[in-house]
Amino acid sequence: MIRTVAVGARAGLHARAAARIAGAAGALPTPVTVRVPGRSPVPADSVLSLLTLGAVHGARLTLEADGEGAAEALDELAALLATDPELATDPELATDPELATDPDRGA
Amino acid sequence: MRLARAVLSARAVRTAETATDRVAAIHRCADVLEEIGAVAPGYRQEMLARERVMSTYLGEGVAIPHGLDTSRRLVRRDALAVLRFPDGVDWGNGRVTVCVAIAARGDGHIELLAALAEILLDPPRARALRSCGSAWDVVQMINRAVVAGYDR
Repeated sequence: MIRTVAVGARAGLHARAAARIAGAAGALPTPVTVRVPGRSPVPADSVLSLLTLGAVHGARLTLEADGEGAAEALDELAALLATDPELATDPELATDPELATDPDRGA
Repeated sequence: MRLARAVLSARAVRTAETATDRVAAIHRCADVLEEIGAVAPGYRQEMLARERVMSTYLGEGVAIPHGLDTSRRLVRRDALAVLRFPDGVDWGNGRVTVCVAIAARGDGHIELLAALAEILLDPPRARALRSCGSAWDVVQMINRAVVAGYDR
């Protein structure tokens, strides 16, 4: 089963964005792979592997999973990949006073 | 396809650093980025702020200190600095022997990260980066990986 999604993070799939995806993927009961055109799929639960994709904003990623829970797993990761982590309501970011007072953030 | 350009020069590589903790290590990273003219002095505080938001530990003994998304005005040119800490630095969620400090204004950051991740997933190259390679080896290895990424 496959799902295609465009990277929503304005700054691309950088280290923090990749860590967010890998963390979510690691908690799923089903292994998910991610690939970009012309390259081999990589495991979605590995930050380093995700970074090798070099996925900039808008890059099309193909997610793949099989078996029980595959559809839910793909839905969850596709939704995360489509959103910008800087704009998401991440409790860690939301409570950081440094960021909360930054007028440039979230513009 | 992008025009290949060297992002790391030998004068931005330090192979025998020491730091008592990760704040001290980030200060050293900022020192080097300033010395090579890659960032304005204010970038230092932004690197410390980024680290407070979320650890920049990447895995395989490597951390990638960098600024916030709002720090790009403080970046004078895209560049890397590589600082090796042979005694290691406690990074909270891992022990760091190499810091790859990043100054980047745009998506260049993503290409650098892809190149670095390729190296870290390749044990011989990861080892060379962490311990045995000379400053020149490190420069060659990283610039080659970045150029390979442009050609992909």
